Amino acid sequence: MATQADLEILDKINSEFKTKGEVRRKGRIWLDAPAEGFVDFCRWLKEQGFEHLSAISAIDWPDENMFELAYHLWSYQDKILITSKVKIDRQNAVIDSVTEIWNGSAQVHEREIHELFGIKFEGNNNLTPLFLEDWQGLPPFRKDFDWREYVRANYYDRQNERERVYYG
Amino acid sequence: MTGKMNASVSTTVSQSQDVAEDGGYDFYFGPAHPGSGNFGVKLKIAGEKVASARADPGYLHRGFEKLMEYRLPIQNSVLSDRICVLEALNWNLIHAEAVEELMEIEPPERARFIRVIMAELSRIQSHIIWFGAFCIGTGFQTGFNLAFGYRDYVLDLFEMITGGRVYPAGYICPGGVRRDFPDGATQKITHVLDQIGRMLRIEEMENPGLVARAKGIGVLKLQDAIKLGATGPVLRASGMETDVRKDDPYEVYDRFDFEVPTRGEGDAYARYLVGIEEIRQSVRIIKQALQQLPEGEVIEPKFRRIKLATKIPEGDVYVRNEVARGEAGMYMVSDGGERPYRVKIRGPSFLHMIPVLEHVLTGAQIADVPAIYWSLNVCPADLDR
Repeated sequence: MATQADLEILDKINSEFKTKGEVRRKGRIWLDAPAEGFVDFCRWLKEQGFEHLSAISAIDWPDENMFELAYHLWSYQDKILITSKVKIDRQNAVIDSVTEIWNGSAQVHEREIHELFGIKFEGNNNLTPLFLEDWQGLPPFRKDFDWREYVRANYYDRQNERERVYYG
Repeated sequence: MTGKMNASVSTTVSQSQDVAEDGGYDFYFGPAHPGSGNFGVKLKIAGEKVASARADPGYLHRGFEKLMEYRLPIQNSVLSDRICVLEALNWNLIHAEAVEELMEIEPPERARFIRVIMAELSRIQSHIIWFGAFCIGTGFQTGFNLAFGYRDYVLDLFEMITGGRVYPAGYICPGGVRRDFPDGATQKITHVLDQIGRMLRIEEMENPGLVARAKGIGVLKLQDAIKLGATGPVLRASGMETDVRKDDPYEVYDRFDFEVPTRGEGDAYARYLVGIEEIRQSVRIIKQALQQLPEGEVIEPKFRRIKLATKIPEGDVYVRNEVARGEAGMYMVSDGGERPYRVKIRGPSFLHMIPVLEHVLTGAQIADVPAIYWSLNVCPADLDR
């Protein structure tokens, strides 16, 4: 059930940026961020009290040729979670960084997505890999990276009787 | 003789030292080191001080987010245990909630109470490990022994109820919980809570040596804490009164009376005090939950016999929980298939161990590094996933 506070915030955002958000349940607002001026939109949200960037999730949609980024924002004063989504082209995966808005928190979230999805964040000055060492291949969390095939090709031993079965 | 003693004492920091170009030293704290727990921090040392710190995760990276895309929810439920070794049941709960919200299932009332009881017990034993590891970080071996001794009471309970001491193997599953409390479980929980209460009354818990070591180190100011994305006990020790259980209640937490402990100092000692107080509050919650525990089913009948090919309706959901370390989140997307299309796991240690840790270690004394590190209640497993 949406509360009065949820609807007020949603109306404010919708009238300011002409977005079409919805309240799915108490304290949960979902919306698509405006295509133009994404960083200004984020800055405005932070000024409204959404100080905590809980996470950024990237979703790969190869069939639609796009990446979707979901920014999960929490307001300590209003106790509302906004999930704001933005879509970017899969071939030219670049988006403006929000590090100047959510600082250290945004910095590492973007760094992780850059490593695992290969999305570039314009304005983030440290996108060095976190988890993988000397990784040259496709960013591994993309849908077109088949880890089963990768493991089969790299980690089974053709000479080993028991592991030879994996080569068919 | 003295040289030999030094060698045995210096185990708190690995001895890989290379002279850097600027005359300082590179110190590698971890990853294969008993004092760091599968996590590396590269320190630059100037004299006795840490000039800069760089977190170096990846030693425990297993790629759960990707693995979950290939598995059914019932398999992922078991997998979700492993996200954090130290609080497996809490991560079970988050996964179950995400699937339930997507499938629009309401677990039975009794299951919700059992979940809260198990999650709080898990928090208690995780906080006890925190206390123990923090003691090791300050060279207070007695505290460590004390902690791991008392933690075993909770593990015995987990074994009795879930069948596993550390990993419950998906005890909290989509639809409810796997099985009801066995006979005598509630009496045993009461007994364990008494033991925990006994532990908290031991005076040596607050050893003067521990207090002296912990006071004033690793200070995290509230402004920095928010900027760097700190949550949970770390944020509360810096002065912010926030708790997902209070602010954004899930399960049946809104029916219990408990307090959110906060401190203003933001140092290691403040975090320690918050942690100890949280154990007391968890005990309070469990006692209330046991009193109000209703009778009935513990799992949604549809889920009692698991059909493997159950489709998850199309949609996406973001669930937040308060785990022992802070805010945990799970974003789950379904395209209408049997397996989740994408799962994003947000662990509290991801921010506590990279930006926060780098921030609080910079400028610290090298001898305080393990103490500061463990005062953040870290778990490399939920960072690396």
